[in-house]
Amino acid sequence: MAEARAPQKSLPKINKVDQAYWEGAAAGKLLLQKCKSCGKVQFFPRVACVDCFGELDWIESKGTGKVHTFTLVRVPRNPAFKEEVPIYYINVILDEGVIMESRLVGDSKEKVKLGDRVKVFFQETHNPSIKLPCFELAN
Amino acid sequence: MRRKKVCFVGYGSTEYSRKSEASVLWYYAEAIRDALRQTGLHKKDIRGLSITTQVSPDYSPHVAEQLGLEVDWVLNGDYGGGGGVMSVRRAADAIECGHIDVAVLVGGNSFDRSNPTQRQLEYQRGNFVDVYGYGGPNSLMALIQRLHMDQYGTTLEQIGKIAIAQRENAVNNPQALFREPMSMQDYLNSRMISDPIRLFDCVMPCSGAECVVLAAEERARQITDKPVYLVTDAEISHYQVANMLPDKTTFGMKVVGERIFSEVKHKDIDLLEIYDDYPIAVMIQIEDLGFCKKGEGGKFVDAHDLTYKGDFPVNTGGGELSVGQAGLAGGFLHVVEALRQLRGEADGHQVKKAERALVTGIGWLNYGRNLGTTSALVMERR
Repeated sequence: MAEARAPQKSLPKINKVDQAYWEGAAAGKLLLQKCKSCGKVQFFPRVACVDCFGELDWIESKGTGKVHTFTLVRVPRNPAFKEEVPIYYINVILDEGVIMESRLVGDSKEKVKLGDRVKVFFQETHNPSIKLPCFELAN
Repeated sequence: MRRKKVCFVGYGSTEYSRKSEASVLWYYAEAIRDALRQTGLHKKDIRGLSITTQVSPDYSPHVAEQLGLEVDWVLNGDYGGGGGVMSVRRAADAIECGHIDVAVLVGGNSFDRSNPTQRQLEYQRGNFVDVYGYGGPNSLMALIQRLHMDQYGTTLEQIGKIAIAQRENAVNNPQALFREPMSMQDYLNSRMISDPIRLFDCVMPCSGAECVVLAAEERARQITDKPVYLVTDAEISHYQVANMLPDKTTFGMKVVGERIFSEVKHKDIDLLEIYDDYPIAVMIQIEDLGFCKKGEGGKFVDAHDLTYKGDFPVNTGGGELSVGQAGLAGGFLHVVEALRQLRGEADGHQVKKAERALVTGIGWLNYGRNLGTTSALVMERR
């Protein structure tokens, strides 16, 4: 059966370390981590503070930032994404001062320039309990 | 018998549980926290890490990234039950040589089966990068190339000159998979893979292997009449890992270069074998190693001849870009080519004055930054 063997778009393998992050995303919240000892804010989900090894709390990001750099993916690693090419893969600097890898979506994405302001957009996936934090150009 | 005394200065231990399903990462962190409390050391004092586990298998450099550790020494302590003692031996070797002062060696396990097939790269790559439909390392390097071009005015022609010079070096190299000369038009017109990275920016994966043999000096002269001396070497992994506003266009090779060139001079290097997963990576390494200022790599490439006949020979056999990348043999290709050059065995692409070579090794594109591992060595024919 061709459908059973067709590649599927990549989904996160949710685990103990990032479970809270994905629960937040499903509820429309972009979560970062903040150190209980030194206050450092960091991303991607980890088990310890990258500055002092302290324990971490989850905090909600405003979800705003700017495009630090981008690429137009013509040959995705996962062939299931072929129909969406070119994919606007980006690095965002969130206003909390943290770099994040993501994707630019929305009708105006072709106009993207370095430094453009962006806002988080939670994209639905083929798993109803998983949403991906992406970004759209903000006016 | 060791030449320098090495000591155990502390330890850390977690509770043991039959029922807990906390992640193995959490257990590593807890054991390390325990040791930090006991010794009074700060996280930043840890510049060496070894991980021994049967959980993934776990790759120590990836664990280092997850734990936010920028390290000068990293080891996969994968020796089964011998891992505890054998990682001690290897850490002691590094301490004895003066590569590091403090190393943390961790062994751990978890019954967490929520993700039995989670690979070590999926600490970040699977869940926070791949889900967006990226194009593999080609896309991650493309992010860096775009920044370099925007911030420093680097042009495609300057980047392309590196690929073209290396191809010229490959023309007379029988091992090379690509031996047809490349023109600038060929480079610029090659298929776009992940804008601005093109097909001719990418290596061709292939099968193959390389190996090197090392021995102490006394033994070396019994084995060969062409011994090549290891003059100096340095590494750093996950440079800038804890900086949430990193400079993506500067690699850890900057720190490596400072260490290497505190012992040798730039002008004493006759040829360079620079890990070339992409031409832009070669250019950035030339900058970071201090051959020119940050951002001036394009001007440098314009002003020099990078072929084996030129004044700044780089990747004298064609590099991985023209020879091919046999997986992780790629890191060895440059060491072997440097040895060929220094022993005068590079028929057809021999650099005339080949007494001292610099070789670099880099690995993985990490999250939001650039290279996971960066390293270099200088070798010299005596």
